[in-house]
Amino acid sequence: MAAPGLAIRVNYPTLQYLTAQKFNYGGRKLFFVKASAGSTEAEEANIIVRKEKYGWQPDFSGGMRPTPILDTINYPVHMKNLSVKELEKLAAELRAEIVHTVSKTGGHLSSSLGVVELTVALHQVFSAPEDKIIWDVGHQAYGHKILTGRRSKMHTIRKTSGLAGFPKREESVYDAFGAGHSSTSISAGLGMAVARDLLGKDNSVVSVIGDGAMTAGQAYEALNNAGFLDTNLIVVLNDNRQVSLPTATLDGPATPVGALSRALSKLQASPKFRQLREAAKQGITKQIGPQAHEVAAKFDEYARGMISSSGSTFFEELGLYYIGPVDGHNIDDLVTIFQKVKTMPAPGPVLIHIITEKGKGYPPAEAAADRMHGVVKFDPKTGKQMKAKTPTLMYTQYFAESLIKEAEADNRIVAIHAAMGGGTGLNYFQKRFPERCFDVGIAEQHAVTFAAGLATEGLKPFCAIYSSFLQRGYDQVVHDVDLQKLPVRFAMDRAGLVGADGPTHCGAFDVAYMACLPNMIVMAPSDEAELMHMVATAAAIDDRPSCFRFPRGNGVGAVLPPDYKGTPLEIGKGRILREGNRVAILGFGSVVQQCLGAAEMLKSHNILPTIADARFCKPLDADLIRRLAKEHEILITVEEGSIGGFGSHISHFLTLHGILDGPLKLRSMVLPDRYIDQGAPQDQIEEAGLSSRHICATVLSLLGTPKEVVNFV
Amino acid sequence: MRCNYGFSLPRSDPLRFSFLPSIRPDPLLIPSSVSFRVGPGRTIKLVKSTLNDTLSFTSEKPSSFYDLLGIPETGSLIEIKQAYRQMARKYHPDVSPPGRTEEYAQQFIRVQEAYETLSDPGKRALYDLDMAKGLHLAFSARRRSEFDQQMEQKCEWKGRWESQLSELNRRSMYKDSTENMSWGARMRRQRNESS
Repeated sequence: MAAPGLAIRVNYPTLQYLTAQKFNYGGRKLFFVKASAGSTEAEEANIIVRKEKYGWQPDFSGGMRPTPILDTINYPVHMKNLSVKELEKLAAELRAEIVHTVSKTGGHLSSSLGVVELTVALHQVFSAPEDKIIWDVGHQAYGHKILTGRRSKMHTIRKTSGLAGFPKREESVYDAFGAGHSSTSISAGLGMAVARDLLGKDNSVVSVIGDGAMTAGQAYEALNNAGFLDTNLIVVLNDNRQVSLPTATLDGPATPVGALSRALSKLQASPKFRQLREAAKQGITKQIGPQAHEVAAKFDEYARGMISSSGSTFFEELGLYYIGPVDGHNIDDLVTIFQKVKTMPAPGPVLIHIITEKGKGYPPAEAAADRMHGVVKFDPKTGKQMKAKTPTLMYTQYFAESLIKEAEADNRIVAIHAAMGGGTGLNYFQKRFPERCFDVGIAEQHAVTFAAGLATEGLKPFCAIYSSFLQRGYDQVVHDVDLQKLPVRFAMDRAGLVGADGPTHCGAFDVAYMACLPNMIVMAPSDEAELMHMVATAAAIDDRPSCFRFPRGNGVGAVLPPDYKGTPLEIGKGRILREGNRVAILGFGSVVQQCLGAAEMLKSHNILPTIADARFCKPLDADLIRRLAKEHEILITVEEGSIGGFGSHISHFLTLHGILDGPLKLRSMVLPDRYIDQGAPQDQIEEAGLSSRHICATVLSLLGTPKEVVNFV
Repeated sequence: MRCNYGFSLPRSDPLRFSFLPSIRPDPLLIPSSVSFRVGPGRTIKLVKSTLNDTLSFTSEKPSSFYDLLGIPETGSLIEIKQAYRQMARKYHPDVSPPGRTEEYAQQFIRVQEAYETLSDPGKRALYDLDMAKGLHLAFSARRRSEFDQQMEQKCEWKGRWESQLSELNRRSMYKDSTENMSWGARMRRQRNESS
């Protein structure tokens, strides 16, 4: 029992920390493979060491606890001989490790905490990497990374040249499939299972998917196929009743959207039917005798449908055997079930429904409305995040504010998002206009066509979907919206490079895939004031679809229109920001700020470039381009997008009009033809070659002064 | 079976925390009757059943299940059973003195609840943990403790998935019989034949 006076951290087995040994300072003897340059890492390193020297306390204050069992685990194979008691201790240590790591680096916290027991149980029973464990989305895989040989590098997670925040095949052989977008794990798992069967191997395949990801269609496509193929596959449905992100509205926790969540919760609360079923079965088999076994099976099938809760037959009808609900925080239960299913000869596809709590084991996360899903650095003792104070708000917030203003003036404006109320800023819209904001769950395809349907009836739908997530609904954009010329407005947040989330969330392609559509109007603001004007413009465009893309990050401090209400821009008209000569730099989107920075740098070389903001990629400002081409020797276009976007449209225009037959020198600066790994935004821009100094270098190299270029490169 | 439930502080029963016992008195020193100040002017008396037949209490809040049954915290199952049987015989409504049936009946219910919790090792462990944290769960038939409900639900779940597992096992035995023409079954048969 507990000794009085000891601060007991309630969710931890208390005994082992009374007997903590001091000698083992954790596997941190070889500290700090410094993955990112910069002195902050070194300072943090010293702080950690000092704290550890001063002793341990059995809770989150005062630094990291000892982790004797976790220290012995470098790879999952080291877990094989642990007893259940030791596994529970390991889970507690793993939790502490996750909290401490994320408190220093920021990242996704509560998802990983919720699946600690699941991670431990999976690695105990299954033998990765031969057995494949696939994590859907992957932001809950921090525990998995720690247990699979990356513990010492966890302090670099989501940083430049560090670990990715999601599973990545190139990073480790234990990451069976790369993730970032949701609902792909069952499909991938099925592919691996089928390949295993064709190759005659006999490893296990486990896909872990959450209840939020289950709202996406692809999950059902995969379940449908899995049921049909009847191959051995284990699907773990991790149900924590958090469907949308950040799982909270402005007023508190968000209730899960969708009828599916209701069905799943019914599964947890069904009446006692088992005894009835067993009794009935016994009664029947006694009377029937030898054929009892088939009859009992048939009876069972019917009984499950009739007497059991209404949800399990849903999966059964798809062809998966349903097991659950199971307490997702009970390692003993989990290990038992996994062990049994693993050793069965022919289970076919099995769905194990586990119930977990997001953020379990860390009281500040359990108490927070958004469960501390995504956090910046925080204090482990209190959970308080250290959010830097910035002079300007995020683009997302400016977007939300201006959309609210537009909606106040026009009651036909509605907003749609796909389970990203916080990320898109539509939580503010939801608070202001609860009846006009629609969260469809993780279903971008449906969101787009739903918006199209709204538009046919005269409403003005704004679809706020991240640039990279809109890729999922691309056919709907083409076929349902653009082809029929329906006035759906797309607000593509997180366009361009996105920093710590990495290439899975990078919005590199939206200019390319939107601007090639015949009826689409494509805009990009260069600062937050322009963003507000573009929201107004989009609201005014009522005869064709339109879109505007803006990046992750904060505004630059532009002068905002009064009362946050933008004025519609003239369509297809850009603007000139700086007048100059010889060189024209035409930027599209927020990268115009980099162009302005380059202009500053070039001043010292007595070069005065003209800086122009194109505003529209489609339709292009023909007059502006012609003028720039005529009055300058050199035209450089800059965009934070892939090839095939703005730069391509400009060059196409120029060739069509014969301008490239003349003396003009044209250069297009785009994102390089490769995926940029996660890192700090400035590092990524540098890596991509789109920073101010790169633009400067391009100008100088064209002007024929190669020596000076060296200073900038 | 270890059910890890959320240890949030239960919704407070205001009276519960207004009296003292965060220090558990040494069981050996418990006199035959103990009284606690509950608030201005109210005291309760808790009496060990073995020593005294008369009972009077003005409030309904003894300090813990152990005290109610009159056993030490380290009491074994046998002791618990004995104490329970004694108290049950004493407070059973049928043998209560006339005019006090209701009191006795309530006491009987409490004794029952205490026995139920303490006789199940899992529940007892959780109860002990709660006590260690200073939460003394008052027991009234009305306020079924939250963990009790959750425990019950978890136990129900466990029963259910155990039967599901055994069913799956049974099914998987004859799943690959030759009538099953699904792709997976065919591949499994192929593999089994070749190995």
